[in-house]
Amino acid sequence: MKIVVCVKQVAVLGDEVEFTDDARDVDPDFLDASLNEWDSYATEEALRIRENAGSDGDEIVVVSVGDGDVEPAMRRCLAMGADRATRIDHSGSRDPITIARLLAPVVNAESPDLVFCGVQSSDAVQAATGTALAELLDLARVAVVTRIELDTGARRATVHRELEGGLVDVTEVDTPALLTIQTGINQPRYATLRAIKQAEQEPIQVVAAGEEGEPAYRVRRMFAPPKGEGAELLDGSAADIARRIAGIVQERLK
Amino acid sequence: MTPTRSTFAGLETWEIVFWYGLIALSTAVFAWGVVRLVLKYRRGRGPLRFDRPWTRLRRAATVVFTHSWIKRRDPLAGAGHFLIFYGFVVLFLGTVILAFQDDVAKPILGWHFFRNGFYEAYSLFLDVFGVALVVGLAIMAYKRGIQKPFRLSYRRPDRTESETERRAYVIGDWTFLGILFFLALTGFLLEAFRIAESNPSFEVWSPLGWAAGHALRGIGVSGEAASTAHFVQWWVHGVVALGFVASIPFTKAVHMLTSPASVATREERAAQELVPIPAGAKPDEVGFGTILDFPARYLLQFDACTKCGKCHAACPATNSGYPLSPRDLILDLREVAEGALGLRRELGIPPLHDPAASVLGDPIRPETLWSCMQCMACVEICPVGIEHVPIINGMRRRLVEQGEMDSSLQQTLESIYETGNSFGETGRKRARWTRALDFEVKDIRKEPAEILWFVGDYASFDPRNQLVTQTLARVLQHAGVDFGILYDAEHNAGCDVRRVGEEGLFNHLREQNVATISRCTFDRILTWDPHSFHTLRNEYPTFGVDWEVVHHSQLLLELIEAGRLAPSKTLDYRVTYHDPCTLGRYNGVYDEPRRVLAAIGTELVEMPRSRDNSFCCGAGGGRIWMSELKREDAPRPSEQRIDEAVALGNVDHFVVCCPKDVTMYEDAIKTSGHQGDIELRELTELVWESLDLPALVAAATHEREEEQA
Repeated sequence: MKIVVCVKQVAVLGDEVEFTDDARDVDPDFLDASLNEWDSYATEEALRIRENAGSDGDEIVVVSVGDGDVEPAMRRCLAMGADRATRIDHSGSRDPITIARLLAPVVNAESPDLVFCGVQSSDAVQAATGTALAELLDLARVAVVTRIELDTGARRATVHRELEGGLVDVTEVDTPALLTIQTGINQPRYATLRAIKQAEQEPIQVVAAGEEGEPAYRVRRMFAPPKGEGAELLDGSAADIARRIAGIVQERLK
Repeated sequence: MTPTRSTFAGLETWEIVFWYGLIALSTAVFAWGVVRLVLKYRRGRGPLRFDRPWTRLRRAATVVFTHSWIKRRDPLAGAGHFLIFYGFVVLFLGTVILAFQDDVAKPILGWHFFRNGFYEAYSLFLDVFGVALVVGLAIMAYKRGIQKPFRLSYRRPDRTESETERRAYVIGDWTFLGILFFLALTGFLLEAFRIAESNPSFEVWSPLGWAAGHALRGIGVSGEAASTAHFVQWWVHGVVALGFVASIPFTKAVHMLTSPASVATREERAAQELVPIPAGAKPDEVGFGTILDFPARYLLQFDACTKCGKCHAACPATNSGYPLSPRDLILDLREVAEGALGLRRELGIPPLHDPAASVLGDPIRPETLWSCMQCMACVEICPVGIEHVPIINGMRRRLVEQGEMDSSLQQTLESIYETGNSFGETGRKRARWTRALDFEVKDIRKEPAEILWFVGDYASFDPRNQLVTQTLARVLQHAGVDFGILYDAEHNAGCDVRRVGEEGLFNHLREQNVATISRCTFDRILTWDPHSFHTLRNEYPTFGVDWEVVHHSQLLLELIEAGRLAPSKTLDYRVTYHDPCTLGRYNGVYDEPRRVLAAIGTELVEMPRSRDNSFCCGAGGGRIWMSELKREDAPRPSEQRIDEAVALGNVDHFVVCCPKDVTMYEDAIKTSGHQGDIELRELTELVWESLDLPALVAAATHEREEEQA
């Protein structure tokens, strides 16, 4: 069995933000980087499937798109226990359709039984890459997965999807398939620094990016939204403020 | 009649031969017992280190002969042990002298010294020490049977009553006392029957035996009757004594051998300065998982434990309902070691524990290990030198390696890796506290300064602690101290990360800090965080740096004594002072903060637990990053501490000098219901107040009120 996990190194905002001179992006000086939270759950789920239902020769392959700076996120997955990592070298547009186009041939070449993506990334929050990739690979796709019961013999999985309002949709899907993994499906393991340091010694395969095509969108401008109207600052003692709040709430409930 | 006595008076030759046979048997069993202990310890990881042998032997001899460690915090028990020890040693030496006389001096050298003055002195000496032994045993029986202090109770905080099986220990304790008492009693009876038989006048030198002998004669036991009783008593006393000697390596009495050996082989700073994990260690070589992973000296320490429970009484976890007792942890490990590598193995019986099985989970539960605050209260007071702190830390290392930890701890460690601080804040915010100052703080990366101030996470990011940090900056500025900080290049020093057991992350942080600090020009490093102080001062040098590191309590004292800070307003507060574990027990800095408090005029009242007996706030060992493990409805360690301070009566301020203490005790004053009874002050805040610079004090106080509101 082979599972490909597509991961992203996301940008993490501090509480101070400035934009680049062309106002089309956040100034990288104000960004930290991290492995996308959803992708750490996806990686953990792949590791658990291997541990619980796996056999010798199972492989977990991490794939990411980006320049050399995204490798720490990939190494994090290797430190957690993934077997190897492939980086698709690319530094242009980061829209989800472009990324899916770049991922498709590389993922396809692996002929995986399962492809995992995070439901979304914490920085762009498009939740589109996984679905686009499934379409390009002509794979069955289940989104927002919170539980996987895999029957390797029958090449079938019973998966739970999280719906609005606490509803759960139980679906059967034949493998190969692409699943987008929701947070909370498991508790991602701690990658010790020892493991991270060892992962630093492991090679990451770098492949050239294929045809990226037209970007699905372009950023024209980034700006801080204007301050909204209607904020009211309450002054006075705690008791006064509490009374005023109670009054406002009652007013609005009418 | 010459004052002497014959050892084998009235015995047939075959009886004497039989007796020597028993001695040989007893000695053989004893020797075999000792050999199998040594073989057991040798199965531990690595050799038993014994470098600087004279220092080690001198330490062991001092501890054993002066009872300096045994008598601490319980002088009565110390006295009891002292009497038993010297009683036993002298009576044993008496027997050795007798054996030398009978088996070497007389038959081989023809030298008969066991008579006249020597005999009389010997008699008196042994009688007195025999009495000492009995009195000592009585004290111990009183402690165990009547006084029953908390430390001697076998109730475990980590197990329910039904899960606790300690009957064997109770039987062992009383049998040990009982046998020694029986030996002393039969010894005196033996003497009494001998004296009662013919009443030689010189035996007045055995005053107790003399009195008892005369009492026997008074009730008509003399002559033949006394002789027969003496004969029976001789064999009873002799056989039990030989049985006792043979049993030493197998019972509680083994501590007569293992405890001094433990004191001699312990590593002086092992609790304070943890050992690095060897480079290239495989996951199953990281820390301790199976009993075979423990170094030989730890296997020895498990057997050295006398169950005195001083660790149990001192441990903040044990005393706050956490599922950990350092005593029971050591005893559990002893049972595993003995069950896996001990007597059964020698006798070819299948072991009780698989030596290759992990001890984590059963019997050592993860929550037990995570309850530890690594505060060193146990190591400090252990009279036999057991190193609980690194033992627990080694098992934590294995848990971390296996990824088994509390999720909030995991998040914190991940934040520390990603951001370099435990608050998960971006590094740019680290120096934001400087914005409230009306002067610029030097960036020591860009310009040299006398003092490199390593601020630390809590002192940098926590709002209440920022007030102290700002006050310290103002004090330093006022005193004209040339200082600078590392701004966003500072990373968590790694003290608590290391104590959690995440050695890899500690190394990562250390490498980053060493690289940054090594590029700066400075004379000394200052910090007001005792955790950073400890690690920078003691744990970084192992990796090849050599910095002079001072705690702000030391620098403040220095500045006051040099006249650079002139306290002009006498603070007539009644205060008490809490010793931070990493400053006090870890580094022996007890006096400087107290001298500062004296210099600014405060009246210091000590809490019952102070200095080396200080009671951890509950934050240590990474506990501040973990979720609650407390089972029982006991007050938290910090709340107990506030109770302790308030009980002193009319104390204005609870003085601390550690950022985590500020956080823990500000909280505890509220949660223990003592708001209004006592107020927390960081040492610097009092120093600033004593400088009597009104405007800024008002500002600082105002900010604090805002913070509290």
